[in-house]
Amino acid sequence: RPAFTDEAVQALLYKMTGIDLHKVFRPVKKELKPPQYRLMTEAQLQQATRKAIEEAKEKLVMPPVLEEREPIDDVLAEDKFLEGTETTKYVFTDLTYSTPHRERFIVVREPNGVLRKATWEERDRMIQIFFPKEGRRVIPPVLFKDEHLGNVFQQDRHEDLLNKCIAQFEPDSPDYIRVHHRTYDDIDKHAKYDLLRSTRHFGGMVWYLVNRKRTDGLLIDMINRDLLDDATSLITLYHMLHPECQSAKEAKEGKLQGVDLIKVFVKTESQREGYIQLALQAYEEAMATSTAS
Amino acid sequence: GSCLLRGYHGGHVVIRFALGGCANRPFFRIVAAHSRRARDGKYLEQLGCLDPLPNSHGEKVAGLNLERLRYWLGCGAQLSRPAEKLLGLAGFLPLHPMTVTGAERLRQRRQRERQVGAVPVDGQGTAP
Repeated sequence: RPAFTDEAVQALLYKMTGIDLHKVFRPVKKELKPPQYRLMTEAQLQQATRKAIEEAKEKLVMPPVLEEREPIDDVLAEDKFLEGTETTKYVFTDLTYSTPHRERFIVVREPNGVLRKATWEERDRMIQIFFPKEGRRVIPPVLFKDEHLGNVFQQDRHEDLLNKCIAQFEPDSPDYIRVHHRTYDDIDKHAKYDLLRSTRHFGGMVWYLVNRKRTDGLLIDMINRDLLDDATSLITLYHMLHPECQSAKEAKEGKLQGVDLIKVFVKTESQREGYIQLALQAYEEAMATSTAS
Repeated sequence: GSCLLRGYHGGHVVIRFALGGCANRPFFRIVAAHSRRARDGKYLEQLGCLDPLPNSHGEKVAGLNLERLRYWLGCGAQLSRPAEKLLGLAGFLPLHPMTVTGAERLRQRRQRERQVGAVPVDGQGTAP
């Protein structure tokens, strides 16, 4: 079964993300500096654009999509006679600088005498206390709770929320996965796909939607914006992930390309056939008028 | 030498707690130092810390640099009794016998108090 990290999958997702230089290098809120102007020839301008594309590629590296981590409950020692001596638990962290954070020893001595390994939340908190990372808080901000996510979505700040989420949580923590899934659901519900289009979160969103077979809204949005290549790559990805479906078999037999692929997909797999047919018709009319004129 | 380098006669390296913090707010640093030095004075290396007051999650946070601790123990450093007890609680060393004895004594004292408390209510209890 193809995974998120396969080269073919990554190539398709990267192609769909698109590179809109104006959006990638949109002014980030920093301290105010007056703009710098440079005088360049045509060749120098092209070289600068190429360098900008290289830097944009680095900015668009997709964050990992992992499964939820298993909770840790491992008891190292039980000393029942210590019960009642302490009222609070002790958390011991190993501060050796060279151990990776995943292998660090963090143990908890409970008041009832049990010495156990710390849970994932305790581990994250302790590691942030002793080895602080920029952009991460010891106690996760209240913003990531469900009742406040609605406010963020109303202000159309999905990308900032996802950036903050990546900074705060580990990729395999349940909070990270929950916030990401909530964001993708909201975007799918309101068809705000363009908010994430040239960002590094687009690949993750497409992976989520294709895994749950909710690609219709995204397909309509792509056709409306005349991004036929993206639509075909979306359907190829769908076929890679769900090879047993009807349209995948037909596509493999017929070796269809382009608009035919989309039509076959629409007939067999999609829920909102009517909308997609309408969008395709509008696109074909637009193509006809543009070629005629 | 310079007057900043204090020369000691005898003494050994100990790993102990150095108290810091402010009024009504202690904070211990687990430190490897000469035994003749002041408690909070110049130390050889800081090996960790202990916050004796519980935080908002009800835990007392302690950090121990186990790699350097093992180095100093290998060099022949001794441990103070509270340091030994802390490392016993952490699981790095076996539990200190005084921890066990202290727990036992506390349990017996509480049992005695409960019996003494029961006697005036009942009117008949076992003699202490």
